[in-house]
Amino acid sequence: MVLGMMDPIVLLQIVWTGVAISSYYVLFTIAFSLALKVMQLWNFAQAGLMALAFYSMFFAFNRLGLPLPLGIAFGAAVTVAAAMALEIFGLRTLRARRSGNLTFFIFTLICAEFVSYVLMMVFGTEPQTLFPSILSQVHIVMNIAISNWDLIAVGTTVVCVAALWVFTRFHREGQFMLAVGENAALAELYGISAKRAYLTTMIIVGLISCAGMYLFGSRSGVFPATPLELLLVAVIATLLGGMGRIFAAGAAAIAIGLIQSFSVLFISSQWQTLVLYVFLFVTIIVFPFGFRLPSWLRKTTKLSA
Amino acid sequence: MVNRWGLLRSGLMACALTSLVAGPLQAQEKEPFRFGNGMPTSGTQALFGSDQVKAQQWAVEDINSKGGINGRKLEMILVDTQADPQLGINAVNRFVGIDKVPMFLISWSAVVKAVAPIANREKVLAINAGANSPEIASLGDFVYTAFPLADVDITALAKYTYDKLGKRKAAVLYINNESGAAGARVYRDVFQKAGGAVVLFEGYDPKATDYTGLLLKLRAAGADMVHIQGLVSDLPQVIAQMRQLGLTQRVSSYAAGYNPKIIEQLGAAAEGLIVTSLAPSADENPNVGAFFKRWQEKEGRIPNGAPYTQYTYDSVILVSKLFEWVDQKGLPVTGENLRKALIEIREFDLPMTGKTVIDGHRIHKPVYLMTVQGGKFVPLAKVD
Repeated sequence: MVLGMMDPIVLLQIVWTGVAISSYYVLFTIAFSLALKVMQLWNFAQAGLMALAFYSMFFAFNRLGLPLPLGIAFGAAVTVAAAMALEIFGLRTLRARRSGNLTFFIFTLICAEFVSYVLMMVFGTEPQTLFPSILSQVHIVMNIAISNWDLIAVGTTVVCVAALWVFTRFHREGQFMLAVGENAALAELYGISAKRAYLTTMIIVGLISCAGMYLFGSRSGVFPATPLELLLVAVIATLLGGMGRIFAAGAAAIAIGLIQSFSVLFISSQWQTLVLYVFLFVTIIVFPFGFRLPSWLRKTTKLSA
Repeated sequence: MVNRWGLLRSGLMACALTSLVAGPLQAQEKEPFRFGNGMPTSGTQALFGSDQVKAQQWAVEDINSKGGINGRKLEMILVDTQADPQLGINAVNRFVGIDKVPMFLISWSAVVKAVAPIANREKVLAINAGANSPEIASLGDFVYTAFPLADVDITALAKYTYDKLGKRKAAVLYINNESGAAGARVYRDVFQKAGGAVVLFEGYDPKATDYTGLLLKLRAAGADMVHIQGLVSDLPQVIAQMRQLGLTQRVSSYAAGYNPKIIEQLGAAAEGLIVTSLAPSADENPNVGAFFKRWQEKEGRIPNGAPYTQYTYDSVILVSKLFEWVDQKGLPVTGENLRKALIEIREFDLPMTGKTVIDGHRIHKPVYLMTVQGGKFVPLAKVD
């Protein structure tokens, strides 16, 4: 069987689908990693925002009958509003009280669970997809099946990652966010508002979560507890990429997706999720500060750049 | 004189009226026959579980509206298991320890297996209302089934696939849970025994959303038939991704696939899908037509997993017949006596699924194979 799978077409198909599937994991990871970098927050409330994003879009498409752009805009508006409310009424209050890291961690986890339970009461627990049909048109390119969903997923992710990169590199608000992330007290001395930076971060987290859930929900069934499961990959990728290294974490999410996809060549599909936990275990023990290239390789890379 | 006669007449009428009203009232005041029911009404399996419970509630209503069982009402104590074995154990502990019921209905293979030791230890009769793992037949003296186990419909399907469809190389994909693995093993063994080859036999994680690797293995295996022992939460995704990868083999599944939601999600990709049904259709049994009409009137739709709802409705009817037998014999209402009733009665004529014969810890029923044609399920064959 493995020999049959070693056909280049099969391997390329696994690479392509692995990359396409990784797209929403990349989005969830960069959102999670961004909050960790700027706010020093293990933001498990992101799972709540993700759930809210999915169900608000589901409501917009299936109950209100809104067209695609309006439905997405509705979902984004609800998610961003919830993210802002979380920052203003929740996190800001905890900061004012000088609460410890554990309090923040527990608070975000409770927020995620709370949203999940409320949505369970409202929408039930059966898996839902954003659209009645989960089929997407397929194009065969060099014997590789590429679906419209794949193209939308990869395209959306590239645009979101590029926009975030441009924003943090070239826009003042983005630069302020990173400055606050480096040293909030020092940044405030220079007149940068940490509050504003945190709020901007949460808005971006909301928008990226919404994009990710659109991709996931248009392909797979979602129930209120699904986002917490999805966030596990984001946490592992963030650890693997190195805390505070947003784009490296995104790359780690792709690597995890690909390794999971390729793992079926050697193990049964039912063990694929186990690979994630092995990653988590190895990362925490072997790469506590994230995976980095060896120093000689980094120098070579820099020189060639 | 006239007044006296008038008074007498009024008195007699009052007595007659009192006896007419008081009779049923006294019957209603009698202690009801109570049984437990552990079903998933929340969680990922709620889509099926809730509809099955609804059918059971209607059965209880129907029995009570006809005067109950020998004048005593039937009462169902429902506890949500979320199809989770641990929650199932909690539910049954409650039935046994707090509600002190002599019997309970239970569904979902992993849950049935988890609670079986409690039923056997406490001598409380457990009746499986919708799980199909073949192992249920060997879970102990107090665990019986009112639902045909997987070796009934999956055996019939595998044989039909080999004999009638002429398929020789099957791939068997299954959700890696109790029911999925057990059903897949039955299909594999029967298909191989018939003379076919199982070229791929592989499970997938219940939380998986991408099946590309598995499906590429399927492509490499060169199967001419694909059997997927999955649930409504994953089955459409597996088929959708299969079709998107250009795999065109005919797909079969079991009774869980007999769900209109699958056709809705897959559209044209569902064409040719074969599923099993262990319950007669409306054409074969007029009660079923009335049952579906009731669904349309009350819920505005047909039930999810229609055959399961027919069986769960009948499971309550079966329960009522056991209580009736024990009551008529003047025996104490215990799990042991209800078990005795089940063995003694043995043959039940049930409204939704017809004649049911208890054969040890199994039941036997004809299998109805359905296929998707023109965007809806149509009968393909009946296998006795």
